[in-house]
Amino acid sequence: MPKKVRLPIALVLALVLALGIAGAPSAAKMAFETTGPHVDEIIMPIIKDQQARRIAFERGESVVWSGLTQPDDIDRAKAMPNSDMTMTLGFHMFYLCFNMREEPLSNQPIRQAIAHCVDRDNIIRTLFKGYMLPMTSFVPQVSPFYKADVPVYPFNHAKAAEVLDKAGYKLDPATNVRIDPKTGKPLAEMKIFTPTYEVAATSAELGKMIADSCQKVGLPVVPEPMDFPVMLDKIDIHEFDMYVLAWGLSRNPDFLYSFFHSSQDVEAGYNNPGMRNPEYDKQSERLNYAADLKEAKAASDACQLILAREMPYVPLYSRPYIDAFRKDLVTGYVPMMGFGAASYNNQWTTLNMRRVDRRGNAIEGGTIRWTLQEEPKNLNPCVASSAYEQEVISRLYDGLMAMHPETLDDMPWMARKWDVGVWEPEPGVKGTTVTWYLEKGIKWSDGMPFTAEDVEFTINYLKENKVPRYLPATQDIVKAELIDRYTVKVYFANVSYWHIYNAGLAFLPKHIWKDVKDWKGFEPWKEAHPKIKGYSKLVGTGPFILKDYVPGEYVRLVKNPNYWRLNK
Amino acid sequence: MGFRSYVIRRLVYAVIVLYVILTLNFILFRVMPGDPTKMIIDPNFTPEAKAELKRQFGLDQPPWKQYLTYMKNLLKFDLGYSFSTRRHVWSELKERLPNTIKLFLTTFVLTSTVGMTLGVKAAATPGSFRDRVVIPAGLFSHAVPGFYIQLLMLLLFGYYWPILPIHGTMSAPPPIGAWPQFVDKLWHLVLPVTSNMIVGFGSWALYARNTMIEALGQDYIITARAKGMSERDVLYKHALRSVLPPIVTLIFMSLPGMVSGAVMTESIFSWHGVGRYLLDATLQMDYPAAQGAFYLIALAVVICNLLADVAYGLVDPRIRVGAGGAK
Repeated sequence: MPKKVRLPIALVLALVLALGIAGAPSAAKMAFETTGPHVDEIIMPIIKDQQARRIAFERGESVVWSGLTQPDDIDRAKAMPNSDMTMTLGFHMFYLCFNMREEPLSNQPIRQAIAHCVDRDNIIRTLFKGYMLPMTSFVPQVSPFYKADVPVYPFNHAKAAEVLDKAGYKLDPATNVRIDPKTGKPLAEMKIFTPTYEVAATSAELGKMIADSCQKVGLPVVPEPMDFPVMLDKIDIHEFDMYVLAWGLSRNPDFLYSFFHSSQDVEAGYNNPGMRNPEYDKQSERLNYAADLKEAKAASDACQLILAREMPYVPLYSRPYIDAFRKDLVTGYVPMMGFGAASYNNQWTTLNMRRVDRRGNAIEGGTIRWTLQEEPKNLNPCVASSAYEQEVISRLYDGLMAMHPETLDDMPWMARKWDVGVWEPEPGVKGTTVTWYLEKGIKWSDGMPFTAEDVEFTINYLKENKVPRYLPATQDIVKAELIDRYTVKVYFANVSYWHIYNAGLAFLPKHIWKDVKDWKGFEPWKEAHPKIKGYSKLVGTGPFILKDYVPGEYVRLVKNPNYWRLNK
Repeated sequence: MGFRSYVIRRLVYAVIVLYVILTLNFILFRVMPGDPTKMIIDPNFTPEAKAELKRQFGLDQPPWKQYLTYMKNLLKFDLGYSFSTRRHVWSELKERLPNTIKLFLTTFVLTSTVGMTLGVKAAATPGSFRDRVVIPAGLFSHAVPGFYIQLLMLLLFGYYWPILPIHGTMSAPPPIGAWPQFVDKLWHLVLPVTSNMIVGFGSWALYARNTMIEALGQDYIITARAKGMSERDVLYKHALRSVLPPIVTLIFMSLPGMVSGAVMTESIFSWHGVGRYLLDATLQMDYPAAQGAFYLIALAVVICNLLADVAYGLVDPRIRVGAGGAK
């Protein structure tokens, strides 16, 4: 029987201790303020080369060296006397996926045996010098929806052989390959697709390590590195046996529906393993359309139990967020669970960061330099999608809700509260309503008031124009209704607890966007503001304003004088 | 009349070549596996959103229809919208082109001048110390990978001896005033241009040396010397002039290479140019952006070839006479 384990907190702590990194999740109660910002200006030089970014950090030309993944970089940053490192668990999952549509991988014992052949500790030690966290769950450990007590299949060749023997896959001593009991012939070769060594050396090597390990128990598994787009193409049309890839997940486990529900087993769908399990479908539908958090949690638990049994993936490891800061230049950065201290999702570092003087005391105001790894090519919020664009955009806009950096709980932000209710879109059909009660006195960066009209406008604009990036959020919205100047109610066609996160769209100032017909081609950062000299039409409610963007060179943000949470 | 028909014929060839290149440009990206929506690996990006994006990109249309739209737009010099940035490709290229031209014209002028001067000087005294230095230096320059030298220089002058800027074309923010800004931009050129010179001068030097040595062995050079001309006149007025046609061709032929060869330099020194744009577009399967960049490069190649042909005809009468005779 599979062994049951608890949350590998011990592993996390061991990694933290090994790294010698401060600000880790084990740290005492996290200190952060909800007002700010404390610097007047952020200059973001665009440095695309990895070595140049490292040098910029070492020269003090950037206060941060973010998203460290290479063991050598981590070691180097650790060795710097002026560097302070933060580490938090992430929502990253690296996994091995099975194609469950065809023999022999459609058989659970084969998948279970392969899972027993995966030596996560060795992979992490050999390929990543220990800077990864072993992962055995389908929901990242950092998520509040993580379920610890599910079956896992630890590395054990003897156990793998036992499972195969029991299922009738006997070893042919002459060829050292298992015989398929259904055909009486040796098992056909099973390939693990990986990107090439040139593109992703660790992934390619990892595929080889798993294949070598499987061969030791008589499973004819071979690695097949290939061009990445070719690999994605083959996955899309389900022409594969196994592959390794990563997901960047999120706090909420709604991905459990899109990854494994049978309706998503279509071309371009994400049910790549081809899982078709009626029991799972039922539970994932329950999860997707849960009426409240309690039901969502119960359904998520049930889904994770079924997945642990069915094994459509073998989760392999999760990458923690490791960031290095120049402690002689700044302080106040907030390591946020799941996102790290320097991620664009982390609004708390933006609000709390301060410069330090020569004696190490925090000081108000001044300029900091924060490297951008890539060009933020398009700052139109309807279009911007890359992390590099979000690095800029996220500092210009605030959300209706915020996320607590430690507990990841929802916090009131531009909405002081919200109600979730039920309505009937058609007789006998239930739908969800979300009512937002906005804070009064919030202004856009050009001084115009932010009201419920802007929220209503944003939702309707995105829905009417079928803006692809927001289509998953708007497709179930029936309408947005203005209740009063600071209250807006959003109606959904069906019931789902997750709609609360789909309803929080509030980033288009009506007074600017109402005349924009070509949402794709609009370049608000390039057009002059109709009333205020020196401002562009890129107007937000966030702590900073875009002052300059010189393509290829730098982005310059200055403190928003109209910011509603200024430290007064 | 002969030269005119020669030019017209070259022009017609150029148009045909451009058409073929542009058609291949279209086919190349369509036969590549995958499409831009497949590069978006986001659990929240549903199949419905992908389908909508494909529709907006025009990728739901049959290939022949896409081809017709593509050719029609190219005739209007409308390169379309980038899939990844949703901005006009031409606007993006316009932003980047000056940087690429600035970087590579500077590199080109300095590299070719230094390389040819060294080659000519070495050829003037074969076997001398100067020649014995130029040959291995030229071979080293020709053989060493550009990215290696560039990374090495980045490390040396960016880290161990941090005196030079390591990225971009200007300081962030730039200094106030036109003159300080000009100096600042020149300062940012030092590392990329020097590294390009190190890996670029060798081929010019070796080519100039070899062609000059061949020219210096010709009868008319012996005649010139016999007539008592100074060695300087022999070298520059007779020998160098006789090797000008292939060098003119080399100059024009190497110009488009400057744009396409920009990928590595622009990546390492975070230079906002066309080369880096092409690389990003190809990796992201951003058809319009990659097609736009290729179109620009194809145009540069065809125009430069045309100019090389015309210049060749101008500096060497045998070419145009031969062309006329072949008619």
